Amino acid sequence: MAGGARAQRESGEAGGIALRDVWLDRGDAPLFRGLDLTLGERRIGLVGANGSGKSSLLRLINGLIVPARGEITVAGLDARAHRRDLPGRVGFVFQNVDHQILFPTVREEVAFGLAEQGLPRAEARAGAERLLAAHGCAGWGERAVEELSEGQKQLVCILAAIAPGPPILAMDEPLASLDLATRLSLLARLRALPQQILMASHDLDLLADFDRIVWLEAGAVAGDGPPREVLPRYRAHEMARAATAAGVLP
Amino acid sequence: MMSSYLPGHSPLHRLPAGAKLLALAGLSLLLLPADSALLLAGALLAVLLAYAALGRRALARLALLRPLGPVLLLMVLLQAWAGDWSRAAVGAGFAVALRILLMVLLADLVTLSTPMQDMMDALERVLRPFERFGVAPRKLALAVALVVRFVPVLLSAWRAREEAWRARSTRRPALALVPGFLAQTLRLADHVADALDARGFGRPADRPSPSDKRTMP
Amino acid sequence: MRDEAALGTRSLVRIALFAALIGALGLVPPLYLPIVAGLPISVQSLGVMLAGLILGGRDGALAVALFLLVVALGAPLLSGGRGGLGVFFGPTAGFLLGFLLGVYVIGWLAPRLPGPPVVAAFAAAVIGGIGVVYLFGVPGFALIAHLPLSKALAGSVVFLPGDLVKALLAALAARSLARARPGR
Repeated sequence: MAGGARAQRESGEAGGIALRDVWLDRGDAPLFRGLDLTLGERRIGLVGANGSGKSSLLRLINGLIVPARGEITVAGLDARAHRRDLPGRVGFVFQNVDHQILFPTVREEVAFGLAEQGLPRAEARAGAERLLAAHGCAGWGERAVEELSEGQKQLVCILAAIAPGPPILAMDEPLASLDLATRLSLLARLRALPQQILMASHDLDLLADFDRIVWLEAGAVAGDGPPREVLPRYRAHEMARAATAAGVLP
Repeated sequence: MMSSYLPGHSPLHRLPAGAKLLALAGLSLLLLPADSALLLAGALLAVLLAYAALGRRALARLALLRPLGPVLLLMVLLQAWAGDWSRAAVGAGFAVALRILLMVLLADLVTLSTPMQDMMDALERVLRPFERFGVAPRKLALAVALVVRFVPVLLSAWRAREEAWRARSTRRPALALVPGFLAQTLRLADHVADALDARGFGRPADRPSPSDKRTMP
Repeated sequence: MRDEAALGTRSLVRIALFAALIGALGLVPPLYLPIVAGLPISVQSLGVMLAGLILGGRDGALAVALFLLVVALGAPLLSGGRGGLGVFFGPTAGFLLGFLLGVYVIGWLAPRLPGPPVVAAFAAAVIGGIGVVYLFGVPGFALIAHLPLSKALAGSVVFLPGDLVKALLAALAARSLARARPGR
C-alpha cells in the first residue's frame, strides 16, 4: 500500500510515528475507526478521559497490540512486519512501577533490555552500569529495587526503557503516582533525553511546555495542536462534562 | 534482599558454588550408611564449630531450625516404638535424628555462604546441555528473578488487605481475605506480562524479520 | 486486547507470580478459623492446593516446582522463614516432592470430576493434595527415618484433620475467585 511508503517519508528514519486508517476493536466495541495521525514532534502529550484510547495508541506503537486494519509506521518500520523489532525502537514506561519492574536488583532490571537485544550477559550488565553512571545513579546496580523510593523506582523504569537505545519513548501516565517534587525532577530528566517522547497524562500542568498535544475522545482526535490551544479547550470540556454529570461519576 | 545468604569472606564463601554443591552431594552419600551415634555426634559438633566460625549471625540462624525439633523427637519415639522400646532401638532412633540434623545443617551451610545468583549460575551451567530438549535456562532464570522480585510486592499487598480489614472490623483477619488476594495476584500477572511483552520478551515474528536482531539502533 | 501470541509470556508470569504468592503466604502469620477458635491454619499449604485449582495441573505443578527451586536457592520462604538446601534433607522432604505431583493431580482432576464445581474441587484437593502427597511423603519419611511404613503412617495421620480442613478451604476459595473473575 502506498500509504505506508508515504508515511515513512513523512516521518523520516530517525524517529516519527505515522498511523494511516487504523481500526482497532476493544472487547466487542470498536475503538479506533480509521484513525490518522502523524507524530513527528519531539515531545507529544496525549490527553483524554479514561477509555478514550490513549493507552491503546501507545500499545499499538510499541507493538503490544496490532490493529485490525490500517498501517502504522514507527521509526521507519512497518509495525506489523517488524513487530518483533518494535520494543527495540519504542521504550515503554507504565504508570505503576510494581507492575513493570521485573527483577530484584537495579542492574538486572536495566540490563534486561540489552540482553533481549542479544548482548551477552556480562556486556549487558556493563552497559547497564554505564547508563546508570551517566544518569547520576552510579553505584545503584547492586541495590534491591524494594529499597528504592517510588520516584527512584520510576527513574529505574525510565532508564530500563531507554537502555536498548530506542529513538522513541512511549509513556502511559508515568508520573501519576508520584509527589509533585519528584514529578518535576523526573520531568526535567525526561526533557534532557534525546528520545522522542509520547506521554499520556491526566496532569495537564506537566504537559504545558510540550511541543504538541493530541486530545483523544472515544477513539477519535478531538483536538490537536500546541498546548496553549488544546489544553484550555480540553479542560473546559471536561469541567462542563463533570458539571452535567452532577455528582454522578462518569 | 530476601535471601538466606550471609555476606562474608570466609574460606567457605570463597569456594565456588559448584564445588560446595558437589561436596554436599558427596557427604550426603557418605553419611547415608553411618549409624554410630558417637561418630555422628562428633560430626555434628564439627559442623556447629563451622557455624561458630562464621560468626554470631550464622549461629542465630540455628534458631530457625526449632520447628524441626518436634519432628525429630517424634521420629525417635516412633523408632523406639517400632523396636519395642529396646535400648538399641532408642539408640538407632537418635542416630537417625542426628544424621538428619547433620545433613540439614551442612546443606544450610552451603546456602549461608553462597549468594543466590552464584547458585543460579551453577544451575544454569548444569541445565545448558539440556537446552536441546526444550529446557530454557534463560526463561528459568527470569522466572526465578520474578519470584524474588514479587514476593515482597505480594506481601505488602497482603498486609494492605489485612489493614483494610482491621480498619473496618475488630475481628482477626480471616480466610475471607484469600479470594480477593488471589484475584489481585492474577491481575498483577496480567500487568507484568504486558510489561514483559513491551520489552520484547518472547515476541513472535509474525513474518520473518529482515533486520538483524543483534544490531543496536 | 488479549492476543494468542502473548500466551507463552502470560503463563510464564502466572506461574512465577503464583510461586511468589505461595512464598508470600509463608511469611504471613497463620490465619485463625472462625469455626474452631484457636486452630491456626498455615496459609502456605493452602496456596499450594490453590495453585492446582486455579492454574491447572501443568502450570500449578510448575509454580510449585519453581517455588521449591527458589527455596533451594536460598530464599527463606517456607512457613516460619525456612529456606535453603537444608529443607530438602529434612524428614519431610518426601512431602515437598509429593506436593509437586499432588498439585498436578489436583489440577487434572478438578475439571474432570462430576458434580458441582466446589465438590469436585474439594474431592480433587483431597485426592491430590492429601492422597498423592501422603503417597510420597509417608514412604519418604519412613525411608529417611529408617522406620517401618506402618509407624511412619501412624506418625503422619496427626496432620490429616488439618489437611482435610485445608482442602475444603481451598475449594471454597477457588469458588469465590471464580465469582470474582467471571469468565476467566
